[in-house]
Amino acid sequence: MSSTRKLLLSIFGFYVFGIVLLLVIFGIGKKNNSFQIQNEFKLVNWVNLGVFSINRAVVYLVISTILTIVTMVWIARRMQARPNKVQTAVETLYSLMRDNITGDNMGDAMARRWFPFLGALFLFIWFNNLIGYIPLPTNSEETFNIFGVAVPSFALYAATANISVPLVLALVVFVAFNWEGVRTQGPIGYVKSLIPAGVHGPMLLLIAPLEVISTFMRLISLTVRLFANILAGHMIILFMSGALAVILGLSFLGWFTLPAAILIYLFELGLVATLQAFIFATLSAIYLGGAVTHH
Amino acid sequence: MLTTIISFAASSGVGAGLGIGIGGGLGAVGAGVGIGIIFGKVIESVTRQPEMRDEITSIQWLGFALTEAVFFYGLVAGLLSYVLK
Repeated sequence: MSSTRKLLLSIFGFYVFGIVLLLVIFGIGKKNNSFQIQNEFKLVNWVNLGVFSINRAVVYLVISTILTIVTMVWIARRMQARPNKVQTAVETLYSLMRDNITGDNMGDAMARRWFPFLGALFLFIWFNNLIGYIPLPTNSEETFNIFGVAVPSFALYAATANISVPLVLALVVFVAFNWEGVRTQGPIGYVKSLIPAGVHGPMLLLIAPLEVISTFMRLISLTVRLFANILAGHMIILFMSGALAVILGLSFLGWFTLPAAILIYLFELGLVATLQAFIFATLSAIYLGGAVTHH
Repeated sequence: MLTTIISFAASSGVGAGLGIGIGGGLGAVGAGVGIGIIFGKVIESVTRQPEMRDEITSIQWLGFALTEAVFFYGLVAGLLSYVLK
């Protein structure tokens, strides 16, 4: 038997042994109705200031804003002719933002103007998504004691998993591309440019409302895509890493689903977090580029 | 068939949980087919024109993310039906 095979078999054995052990020790418990899954995503006001109340989503937003500004300014200040690893990574990111997101989707002069906005949008969403996968002590509903101090329990939470954050970002983009369209083509020209060329007469009555609706649908699809991706990812990680076991009262189920939780965590961290930020920025660039051209 | 399932579930008292099942399940079916088509076509076109690889890769992720979001629309609709029951 080869050593890889032995290792794999022993890991599998350990896994099965864990399931059996937990089943024997804890058995099959009762359903737990006091644990509510939506409380994990609830926003509790920490500082009450009316509409400006500070809750954990606000803290996450502030952290990612600071991260976006500080890391990029810090690296930009320390540019060297012979780049080190960090600088190479950031330069790759920069060329991704400049060429793939902005440059491919709009003209040169426009790309220069909109690059700071789209780059900041990408980085802000990206950092928001990434810090969502670091467990931070933010769940103030459930506390535990360390040397007599009540510490909020550690939780995965992302500000982008709250629908209002992507909605505001999408609104900014929506206003921006409509403004850009009206500015370059005039109000009437912009409305005309929404309708595909070659549509005349009665077909106009059918097509025009559809095109107007589809413009507004961009707002919804931008919002829901980002929010639902992040929320669903966090929920699946939560369910697989123990919430299912807690709700159903089956301790061994937590051990059983743990590998799935780790795999999904890596998938979300490695692919979804970056991809969603990229998609949001790319679609914004496509909308902006599309607003100034006739089609 | 769907109406039979729904009426059966309503009579047996499963109710709101069904929303997540149908929403997430049918969403996953659609998104699964779509993602399969996207990656199948990418493999096809890269084998046909290997020099276009970089360009195809960047479009591929756009298509993947747009298709994958469809699954989440279904899931969110299901969750809404569960939460707002």
